[in-house]
Parts: sequence; structure tokens; C-alpha cells
Amino acid sequence: MSTDEETDRPTARPRLRSRRRRTAWIAAGALAGVAVAVGVVAEVAGTDSRGGGVVTENGTLVYGVAGTQVSLDPAVAATAVTSLINRNIFDSLVAQTGPDSFGPWLASSWTISEDGRTYRFTLRDDVTFHDGTPLTADAVRASLDHVVDPKTKSAYAASLISAYQETRIIDPHTVDVVLKQPFTPFLQALSTPSLGIQSPKALADANYRPVGTGPFGYESWEQGKAETLARFDGYRWPAPGASHSGAAHLGKLVFQFINEDATRYGALTSGQVQAIGGVPPVSADDLAKRNGFTLHSDETPGLNYNVYLNQSRGPLTDPLVRRALTGSVDVVKLVHSIYFGHYPVADNAISKVTAGYDASARNDLTAYDPDNAKRLLDQAGWNHTDSDGIRVKDGARLSLVWPYWPDGTREQRDVVADGIRAQARAVGIDIQRPTVDTGTYVDKYLIGGGYDLVDVSFARPTPDVLRFAFFSANTYAKAGGNVALVNSPQLDSWVTGAAATTDAKQAAGDYSSVQHEVLKQAYIIPIYTPVSLTGYSKSVRDLAFDAQTYPRFYDAWLSS
Amino acid sequence: MTRLPEPLRWLAGRIALAVLVIWAAATLTFAGLQAIPGDPARAIAGGVAATSSPQVLDRIRTEYGLDSPIYVQYGRFLGRLARGDLGTSYQQHRPVRSLIAEQLWPTVSLAVGGLALGSALSVAVAVFTAQRPGVRAVARAAEFTALSMPTYWVGFVLLALFSFRWQLFPVVGETGLRGLVLPWLTLAVAVAGVLSQVTRDGLEQALEQPFALTVRARGATELRVRVRHALRHAAAPVLTLSGWMLGNLLGGVVVVETVFARRGLGQLLVTAVRGRDYPVVIGTVVLTAAVFAVISIVLDQLYRLVDPRIREVAR
Repeated sequence: MSTDEETDRPTARPRLRSRRRRTAWIAAGALAGVAVAVGVVAEVAGTDSRGGGVVTENGTLVYGVAGTQVSLDPAVAATAVTSLINRNIFDSLVAQTGPDSFGPWLASSWTISEDGRTYRFTLRDDVTFHDGTPLTADAVRASLDHVVDPKTKSAYAASLISAYQETRIIDPHTVDVVLKQPFTPFLQALSTPSLGIQSPKALADANYRPVGTGPFGYESWEQGKAETLARFDGYRWPAPGASHSGAAHLGKLVFQFINEDATRYGALTSGQVQAIGGVPPVSADDLAKRNGFTLHSDETPGLNYNVYLNQSRGPLTDPLVRRALTGSVDVVKLVHSIYFGHYPVADNAISKVTAGYDASARNDLTAYDPDNAKRLLDQAGWNHTDSDGIRVKDGARLSLVWPYWPDGTREQRDVVADGIRAQARAVGIDIQRPTVDTGTYVDKYLIGGGYDLVDVSFARPTPDVLRFAFFSANTYAKAGGNVALVNSPQLDSWVTGAAATTDAKQAAGDYSSVQHEVLKQAYIIPIYTPVSLTGYSKSVRDLAFDAQTYPRFYDAWLSS
Repeated sequence: MTRLPEPLRWLAGRIALAVLVIWAAATLTFAGLQAIPGDPARAIAGGVAATSSPQVLDRIRTEYGLDSPIYVQYGRFLGRLARGDLGTSYQQHRPVRSLIAEQLWPTVSLAVGGLALGSALSVAVAVFTAQRPGVRAVARAAEFTALSMPTYWVGFVLLALFSFRWQLFPVVGETGLRGLVLPWLTLAVAVAGVLSQVTRDGLEQALEQPFALTVRARGATELRVRVRHALRHAAAPVLTLSGWMLGNLLGGVVVVETVFARRGLGQLLVTAVRGRDYPVVIGTVVLTAAVFAVISIVLDQLYRLVDPRIREVAR
């Protein structure tokens, strides 16, 4: 890479001349001292980027991102970074335009049958893939069949369309996608990069290359280092909301994998990359105050970062104990002190920006009140304490297991857990935190069920995440997220009913009931809403973010 | 019966030993990975976050032979290894050999450069400070400081100053020499901390030998005594230590790779261990064992070069 910021280089460089040995050492020490002092005093020059509004074409934008890219195929990979990159390569049949609204994209229109099982899509007839293949009904069928084919070993995409039965080709630009049962979140699933439409020619090739119809085409991938995309000059079909038409402005889009937070942040502030994803919360304030940089924050739609209370075993089978635990934790104070106000405190299973979010559900959340928590525990029969101050009932201590899985822990969630443990202890609840490796975490805990508490967040912009998290059949072993092991016929009927009905009002009512009930039963302690923090230099213009919080580079350009 | 010439027999013996070491390392790793809890099928399916259906998991078990008894799996594994086939990565569904080949050069350039810089620094420091109590004390302090600073921290300080503050050496996107300077320096600090102490000790012992007095008596300059004569005597332990360090560095320099956002075998191994990608873990271990074996053969030859006495004895 040729760097353009070399003009900032200081002209005078410290030189070490070897004179007498003794003095050389002293000189070296002094120089090092001066060097550090100068470094501390010196400020990185902020670039004043108030320029004209003339769009510059052909820039190369380098975007630093954390994460390990294991597969380029959107149908295979479950990793967030793959979706972020693939969003630029692949277009979808429909585009998500709001929390629960969808617009035409590769499909110019669609109709849904009476029974909600057949979706008829009319495809645009002017679309070609990067490899020159025209977009036809074949491509839609090949892409969807590829996702659900067990040979693909899909880690995520297939679970989004588990209701998929088949694609019927009506004519070259009309397809019927048939579902096994009505499934309202289907359009949302189709709008994700995981279900982007792929070139049938590329899918048939033994050497897989991601080939879509997006504004940027795949150019190269250096494992663990970078993936480079190049502008697709023939692009004419941007998603709704774009501010220009035709090909993208940027000539190249380079995703650099920089896993270390401090390195990624330093690379941004020193101008080595123009934008980064995952600004560390500790640095967010610093970036917001810096001249020449923009901090963009988006609350993530989907399930909040929640602690799930396994209601199927031990003391937590008793709702009183679950409420007591919830009431013993001052979540507001905890989240504010750990995340410096950058992460909003959660008050519901799903985040505010998720469709169907019901603000009134928070009235059913047990409020922070340690005295009330103690009363609830007394009422539940845990009315003695042992010599350690832990509550006892029938000779058993009120001790809960919350496995700690360091490999999967990010965003200082271990600190949150320490805070919760300390506060629970104050009312007489002991929480054990065995540190476990990935295999043990999955086998013994998530599948084996040997836990009382588990913490997790799950981003997906649809209220159907409530079904993922609380439907009795969606346990982890069955590829679901019901880690509180909730088993309630009432909740089951709401979440399945909402997913199957074509009546939007009934769905909203069902989702609302779920949110109330989950908090009333204290199946979860909501902690915070994950926020995606993107930082970019002011030289990056017109960078937009779509309804799924992915950065949209189509309109972006670099000012010189 | 014709007997092989002595050097060839020696080499054959060493190669046989190397094969034994590689087999043992591979077997131990295989056994170790079997002992770790967890279902490899899930790892293949995409890890903890994956939402693969039980049908897909079953299919994976059959496809990868994970449903066979362990001894059958071990037999297959050895068979593949004997043919030089390291298998296919669980996570990336690509041959382990090509994954390793891709990451080899970034690691080799980092390790060899860092070690070379560190060794040069060590020799220079040792030559100038041996038997000179004043500067030696300063050097000792510096060496202990270098040893006690975590590599992670050294890397960050260098990065913060020379890359972020003064923008002399970019950390991102630089594939050439400029991108290697700071990682090399970081490694050199760690290497020199150990190596210069050993070199100086060897040098000081050599300088006390009668031969040093003889050379001086012939009128050689102090520098010549040290570099031409004493250094050779100090070389054997330094070579041994450098060889061991090189083996370690080639096995992956995870910390330096992470701090400087570089790819390499270290990153490959960490990702593989986290994702329970057994074939990649075993492949990396086999490679490291092979590297150690080769280094030890090369070292034995080097000993003979620097110390003629070994040649005499062996003959």
C-alpha cells in the first residue's frame, strides 16, 4: 500500500552516533527519554476536511475490522465480519428499509399467497452478475437450494429459512418460493447478506469465489490479513435509499483484519485506515472529541445482551427466586460505570430498535430493590443464612452456576458478571463462575444443561428472535437460543402464532404478550443493548448505514 | 557388505530420529485433542454461534469419519501423515498444507529477521561490555529490563510512538520491509535480553583462557582478540540457544502478530485451537517438530564448523 500521509513525517530524526561507549549509553538513555516526552506532547495532526462537495471517483477506502473470516460463502459462514463484507458483493431479492418494512431490490415486486406459503417474486430484467451471467430465476433457485443443501454445511443462513421447501421457476424472471408452512419473517431473512443471490455459474464451480450482483466485486483474499473488493462498473440497481445511481464512487474497498482493539483504533487515528468497525467503548469519547473524525453509533436490533435464568432446574425453578435475583442487581449503575454511557441499558428481551418492541413491558421487570429481593427470598423459603452469609433452605445453599467462557467473552462482559455476582451475594445468593473451554461450554453446559445462568446477545432485525429465544423446541441442542430452557405452552403459541399469521396486528399483539410474560416470569435479566460503533475519518463522505446497521459503501467517496 | 560412509550414516540416523520426534509429537497432539471435551462436528459446522441442524451435524460426523472408533481414526490419521497429507481444515474446508504454506512466509520473515537483529545486537553488546564492569552494569540493567517487559507492551510502545505518533512505520497494509521494522525490533528486544547475557558470559570465560593472553602478546588489538578469537569459543552455547529460539519463533509469534495485525502461523494456530480445528492444530505441531529436527541437524553441523575439536573427536 502506498501511504499518502507521509507528509506529516518529521524532518529531523534522532540519530545515534557511536562515540565513547560510556557516553553512548547515557546518550541513548537521554534520547529515549526525550523521544517518549516528545511523543506524549505531540498531537496527531487532525486533517481539516471541510472541502467542496465534488465527488471524487476511484478512491481506495481501507476499513479496519476485527474478526476471523473462515469462509467467503455467505451461505456457509456464521461470522459477522463475513456478512459485513458480503453485503457489498451480494444484493438481496428485497431490501430491509425499516424495523419491519421492506422494499424492492433484485425483485421489482412480489406477492404473497393467501395461505402465506408461496412468495412470487418478479425479478428485474436488467441485472447481471460480476461474471457476466444475467440474473434469472435459475440464480434464485440455485442460491436458495445451495443454502439449504446439507453439503453446504450452512452454519447460519439455512437456519433463517428452515421453512423453505422449494423454488419453482415460472418464467425466466418470475419465481415462486414455496414454504413448508407460513413464515412471516421470510422477507426479513431474504434481505440479509446471508441469503444474497449468487451467480449459479460460480456456485457450480469447484473453486468457490463469491460472485454476486453487488456494487463491488470480489478481487482477492489474503487469509487473516485483508479482503479486497473492486468496483463493479456495470452496477445500476442500488437498494432503496441510495443517493446516486450507476456504479459506486470508490474504486476499491479493502477490509483489513485488525483484531487488537488498540491497534485498530491507532490505525484509524493515525490515518492508516479511513474507517474502522468496533470502536472500543473506552475510546469512543476520545474519538467523538477528535477533530477530523466521526463516530457513528447504531443500536443493534434483535435480542439484547441478556442473562438467561435456567428455569428448569434448582432454585431458579421458583419464580420468586428469579425475581429476587433480578431485583438484587442494579443494572443501570453497572452498565453506566462499565460502558461510559455508550451502551444503552436494556429493559426488555429485545432492543428498542427492533420491530414490535413494546416499551410498556418494562413495567413487568422486577425493579432494583435489594430489600425487596431479600423479602422475596424469605418468602420463597430461603430464610436462613449460613456462616458465609449465603441463604440456606432445607440444608441446601442458594448457589448458582454461571459458566465463564473466556473465548466467547467480549465487550468486558466478564466485568459485568463480576458486578452481578457481588450484588447477588449482598442479598445472600452465591454465583459460581467456573472458567471453561469451548468444548466444555457446549457439551456440559449449553447441551448438558448443567448451568443456572448463561449470558448471550443475538443480533437480528426481526421480532422473530423472540421465537429463537423462548420457543420450547428451540433449545441449543436443536440449534436454537432458548437457553433459559423455557417450556411454556402459552409462550409457544404466541411466538409460533406471530410467525405464521399474515395479520400484522395479531403478530404485534403476540410479540407484545411475549415481552411482558418473559419479564414477569423473570426468565431473563436484560443488561444492555449492543451498539455497533463505527469510526471514520472526515475524508470519508456520504457513508451510510442500512437498516441492518451494515455500513453501505455504495454512495461513499473519499475527499482528497 | 558395503558400509555407508560415516557422514551419511550419521545423517540417516538423525533423519530417523527426526521422524520419530515428528510421529511422537503428532501422536501426543492427537491424543491430547481427543481428551479435550467437545464435539468436533460442531466445530466443523461453524462453532458455538453456529445454528446448524442436528441433521447437518450427523452428516458431518459421517463425512469426516468422526463416528468411527478412535483407533480407526488414529490409523487413518497416521496413514495420511505418512503420505504427507495433513488433512483438511474443519473451519475453512481447505487443505491444511496450503493453509500452512500461505502463512509460512510471513512467519519466517518475521522470525528470522527478529532473531538476526536480536543476535546482532547481542553480539555487539557482548563484545563491547565483556570484562568492562562499568558498561556491563548498564547493559545488565538494560537486559533485565528487556526481559521483564512483556512483548505485548514493548510492541505497543513501539507502535504508539513510531507508527501512530510519528507515522514512520505503517502497521496496516504494509507488506514490504517497512512493515517489518517494528515487529522485528519487538522480537529483537526479547531475544537480545537473553542472548546478550549468554554471549557475554561465554566471551568473558574465553577471555580468561591462556590463548587470549597469547594473542594479546602477539600484539593483536583488543577488538581483534574479542571478535576473531574469543567469540568463536563463546559461539556453541549461543548457537544452541538461537536454534531453540528460532524453532520457537517459527512455531508462531502470536503476541507480535496480534499487536501488529500481521498474519502468520501464530494466528493460524490460535484460531484453530479456539475453533477446535484439529487438523490445523496437528499440522502446525508437526511442522514445528520438523523445524526443530532440522534446526538440530543444522546446529550439529555448525558446531563442527566453529569448533574444530568436535571434528577431531568425531573422526
